[in-house]
Amino acid sequence: MSDRHEVISAFLDDEPFDSNALAEALSEPAGRELLIDLLALRHLMRTEGKEAAAQPVRRPWRASLPALVAAAAVLLALVGGYLAGERRGELAMSAAPPATRVVQAPAAWKDVRSGRMP
Amino acid sequence: MTVDPEALFAAHHHRLYKYFCRAVGPDTARDLTQDVFLKVTRTPIPVAAEGEVRAWLFHVARNLALDHHRQRLRRPEPSELTDEGARTASQDVDLAVNEALAALPDLDRDVFLMREVVGLGYEEIGRACGLTPDAVRSRIHRARLQLRERLASPIATRRTIPMRHSGRQT
Repeated sequence: MSDRHEVISAFLDDEPFDSNALAEALSEPAGRELLIDLLALRHLMRTEGKEAAAQPVRRPWRASLPALVAAAAVLLALVGGYLAGERRGELAMSAAPPATRVVQAPAAWKDVRSGRMP
Repeated sequence: MTVDPEALFAAHHHRLYKYFCRAVGPDTARDLTQDVFLKVTRTPIPVAAEGEVRAWLFHVARNLALDHHRQRLRRPEPSELTDEGARTASQDVDLAVNEALAALPDLDRDVFLMREVVGLGYEEIGRACGLTPDAVRSRIHRARLQLRERLASPIATRRTIPMRHSGRQT
């Protein structure tokens, strides 16, 4: 595209331009096509960014799979640990612990009836 | 007369964010917008007309975007996993726009974005990028011709939708 179409850019941008040069450029079909395309390009630049910003690209579920697996493993470990602890606690409460020391009665020991001293 | 960095941030953060969204992508745009204002708070702001301050601000922004591109060349980031089937048509077009922009030379892309997305005038862009207004006009036009070629299909689709002429953004 020749430099004579630069005047179309200047016109679009609201910058000073030579009106005769613009008239000449727009007298050709190629110049008119360019003007319309540049307007479309402007709309593209000013609207597409906004739409894309409003709609972030979705990550596929496959990309999130490792994180999901890790979260599931942590959850499983926590629940398993809790249940194992619960079970151990129940067992501990249902049976008395084994004796650690046996106290032998002395040889002079006598059974007495209650309320009477020898 | 001094310029308050907070007032400057309030007035321009949206434009800076839009520029960074297209120049480096939306993931990094917020961070770089913040970085511009960190720099601004540590640097004396030039006492000048509003257009010149804006040009200076975008000069700072452009340098940050270029630094970011250099860092990415040294340490490429893994590409994000995306499900092609899950993308909407609009997101496909957005991706095509970003790829077409990335294919432009850095300077052409920046002058084009400063004009088309931010709405700066040729003089302001010239100050931000160290170019004459004539050079800015030529580069913007060249960028448009390349983008027109690369985005022929979305442009053809867009031509069928009613459009409204919008000149300089304020």
